[in-house]
Amino acid sequence: MKVTVERAELLKSLGHVHRVVERRNTIPILANVLIRGDRSKLELKATDLDLEVVETIAADVAPGGSTTVPAHMLYEIVRKLPEGAQIVLEGSGDRAVLTIRAGRSRFTLQTLPDSDFPDLAAGDMTHKFTLAAADLKRLIEKTQFAISTEETRYYLNGIYLHIAASGNTAMLRAVATDGHRLAQVELPLPAGAEGMPGIIVPRKTVGEVQRLIEDADAEVAVELSQGKIRFAIGAVTLTSKLIDGTFPDYARVIPLGNDKELVVDKAEFEAAVDRVSTVSSERGRAVKLSLSAGRLVLSVTNPDSGSATEELEIEYDADPLDIGFNSRYLLDIAGQLEGEAAVLKLADPGSPTLIQDRGGASALYVLMPMRV
Amino acid sequence: MPVRQLTEAVVNRIAAGEVVERPASVVKELVENALDAGASRIEILTDGGGRRLIRVTDDGAGMTRADLDLAVERHATSKLADDDLLTIRTLGFRGEALPSIGAVARLTITTRHADEPHAWTISVDAGEKSRVKPAALTRGTSVEVRDLFYATPARLKFLKSDRTEAEAVRDVMRRLAMARPEIAFTLAGEERMPVTWAAALPGAPGRLARLGDVLGSEFRANAVEIDIERDALRIEGYAALPTLTRANSLGQYLFVNGRPVRDKLLAGAVRGAYADYLPRDRHPLAAIFVTLDSRDVDVNVHPAKTEVRFRDAGLVRAVIVRALQEALLRGARRSATTGGSATVSALRPAPSLPSPASGGGWGGGRGGWDWRSSPARLPTSAAFASAGLAEAAQSVFDTGGPQADTRPVAADSAPELVDRPLGAARAQLHDTYIVAQTRDGLVIVDQHAAHERLVYERLKAALDRDGVARQILLIPEIVELDEADIERLVARADALARYGLVIEPFGPGAVAVRETPSMLGEIDAQRLMRDLAEHMAEWDDGLPLERRLMHVAATMACYGSVRAGRRLKPEEMNALLREMEATPNSGQCNHGRPTYVELKLSDIERLFGRR
Ligand SMILES: Nc1ncnc2c1ncn2[C@@H]1O[C@H](COP(=O)(O)OP(=O)(O)OP(=O)(O)O)[C@@H](O)[C@H]1O
Ligand SMILES: [Mg+2]
Repeated sequence: MKVTVERAELLKSLGHVHRVVERRNTIPILANVLIRGDRSKLELKATDLDLEVVETIAADVAPGGSTTVPAHMLYEIVRKLPEGAQIVLEGSGDRAVLTIRAGRSRFTLQTLPDSDFPDLAAGDMTHKFTLAAADLKRLIEKTQFAISTEETRYYLNGIYLHIAASGNTAMLRAVATDGHRLAQVELPLPAGAEGMPGIIVPRKTVGEVQRLIEDADAEVAVELSQGKIRFAIGAVTLTSKLIDGTFPDYARVIPLGNDKELVVDKAEFEAAVDRVSTVSSERGRAVKLSLSAGRLVLSVTNPDSGSATEELEIEYDADPLDIGFNSRYLLDIAGQLEGEAAVLKLADPGSPTLIQDRGGASALYVLMPMRV
Repeated sequence: MPVRQLTEAVVNRIAAGEVVERPASVVKELVENALDAGASRIEILTDGGGRRLIRVTDDGAGMTRADLDLAVERHATSKLADDDLLTIRTLGFRGEALPSIGAVARLTITTRHADEPHAWTISVDAGEKSRVKPAALTRGTSVEVRDLFYATPARLKFLKSDRTEAEAVRDVMRRLAMARPEIAFTLAGEERMPVTWAAALPGAPGRLARLGDVLGSEFRANAVEIDIERDALRIEGYAALPTLTRANSLGQYLFVNGRPVRDKLLAGAVRGAYADYLPRDRHPLAAIFVTLDSRDVDVNVHPAKTEVRFRDAGLVRAVIVRALQEALLRGARRSATTGGSATVSALRPAPSLPSPASGGGWGGGRGGWDWRSSPARLPTSAAFASAGLAEAAQSVFDTGGPQADTRPVAADSAPELVDRPLGAARAQLHDTYIVAQTRDGLVIVDQHAAHERLVYERLKAALDRDGVARQILLIPEIVELDEADIERLVARADALARYGLVIEPFGPGAVAVRETPSMLGEIDAQRLMRDLAEHMAEWDDGLPLERRLMHVAATMACYGSVRAGRRLKPEEMNALLREMEATPNSGQCNHGRPTYVELKLSDIERLFGRR
């Protein structure tokens, strides 16, 4: 195999692909990227057995062939080569090495046979649809922060994508929760997704997809089955296993009946929470919200260092109420809100609180209070 | 006083003291009798932890009128056919259980034998035997024991709370249930939801099914089968992969010829077999069934029949170790746990040193650690080992000077410091150890361990003052546990709540975790609850939770935690020494290792042969 390719092209593509490769690998070939030259195309492929990324770029190839080399090392080499360089990748027929030449630099990397490279056999995909890249990005970004990191609850380690009804319209809904808070975002169900199963897309996969979406105006083709999902984003195809588990019945914890409604300027609220929490010690990080007619007092008391309060004007006419929240969780959610005014719907200091944009029903957040 | 023969009632009462220790032993004897009688279903009912009532009903062979009359007599048994104590195949053989129980309680036996036209009943009240009377019962035997120990009030005083006694009953039943998977058991009582262990198939699958029922489905999913035969010795059973462990060895069960027994040999063998896989303080679950010629084991060691004596204990132990090792090797492919014995032993803490505060020293001959006989020992401690490695890797860049921070440490400015218990700081070695000079020796402080301890003490004071902030869970976590564990946890719910953990019972076999300490963030509630329950089985406190909180605290930046590898200024070192002196319990780190060691001048002199 002999491939001649633009450094910029190769670097960009390796940048997409090599991130999938885990730093520490017990199976040597998983540390490698598969490169396959075929006529005017170079294909790069990496996998961690759960997730596979393939990208095809233009190149001069003659003769064709394929091999595998350490992914991170190849990426570093290409990154350090001078801009504008032409890179020649050449496999030798009998020795298990790949030479990389550019200008006066020359590298020889040991290879492993491409026939050993695992294939994430996708099987038959049962549902296919396209999404605007911006929409997909929004589904991920608004929910990602709430994904659980606790591995024992593996079924929470991803975003739950499923069909839900909003009034009479079928929606594609994304939900994530870590048991302390929950995020839910939805958009009209795209054509082709009808009847799709509810699936849990792993954290690493959504992270990669989100990073791969560079052009928000593009379209992303999604294919899925019970066990796998595939995204085609530009020249990149990402295929991933899904989490095999049952997402909990989250609808029960969404408090639709909360009647104490508070409306606050989002930016002011976010800044005030951030300011008062400066004095909260690392542990706990509780901020107390004291609500009374038209008035919200945020306060933090830290017996080790001091206290802080800040008063905000709000729309509120229900009975006075004191409630505590983890300040980081409040900031996380505030950071997701898009509108100018945030709505908090509360019941009592021991029950879940619903947070939304005023007038925005497509995203909602549920936060459990703290006892302080 | 003249010598005289004791009356039978007194003899029985004395014997009862050995056979019947608590309600659980009555349950054990009665259920064993039912098993010996060939029962296939056995129901056990208790009330008041077994103190008020124990009733065991079976569908076994029953007794004839004559046998019934004799059964409650001392040393009457149907089980030693030819007076041969060497070939015992039944669980009972001493002919002691029923008369002993009858001597200290109100005992009623109703039984129906196939050869009899109807059932018969007899009662024994504090040793007073009634006549045998006709009764109604279609099949099997029902034995009722009321008011246990009412005839021996002294004994009664030794019983624990009803709840604890009920727990002991359950433990006995779990063991018997594991021993006999083909028998259906029901355990009921006012204080619990009835537990039913349905009859399982004979052979390994049935055994595994029953073990899963008793020890939990997790065991079932993570157990490897054991089956090995050496000469006339057969070892079967299941042992957990090294990933499923407990903090104590209470989850290891031994059965010899179908009899649940307790023997230290098991714990030793298990430890030996898992040595390469596990640290010393983790214990895998295991249920090991030993079958051997009844002549090679003596079960007549103690009246309670829960101990045995092997003719060749060494062999039994060795074969168990071998069986476990083989199984583990097979299981290793399933388990993600690897790690050589070398790593484990390198991480093992050095033998604990006598507490410097208590006046002990390092010198040989004082019962302390003898440096002369084991010079290689010290560097095996993890801190030394890693510091040594780091040093080696960097030595090429080093100037070749000593590794110590040799900046003069205000040696003369504060001469009174050497009179303090921990002396005046003189140097820091490997950015990890503080060396201080005292009036009559030197002190080496592990700065990280010491500081962690100080943080711990500080945080503990803060917890006592403020309590812990709790995050309420959106979705409560349901954790399945043993009833005994649940009771232990729930009994200490108030204390746990102070540490930020709010739990409540959830149905018969689970607890709901509703609120967690917010400083722990997202936690593995399952594991925390299990660790807590296990720890509580041995110690009456919530240390695992505290420890986690402390661990988080210790890693918090706001405390400016001094880690190993951080260079300290002389003022900082002295401040640390002074704070240690002022803090109670600062001589040991949170893991029980010393935070500092002291070397007396006399010890140093001995090192150099000056004494
Ligand atoms: N549930 C039962 N069904 C049938 N027979 C029984 C039952 N319980 C006791 N027996 C008879 O009563 C006898 C005496 O029982 P007991 O428990 O006192 O002695 P053992 O079982 O022979 O020996 P050990 O006291 O050591 O267990 C037994 O040998 C048995 O024949
Ligand atoms: Mg008996």
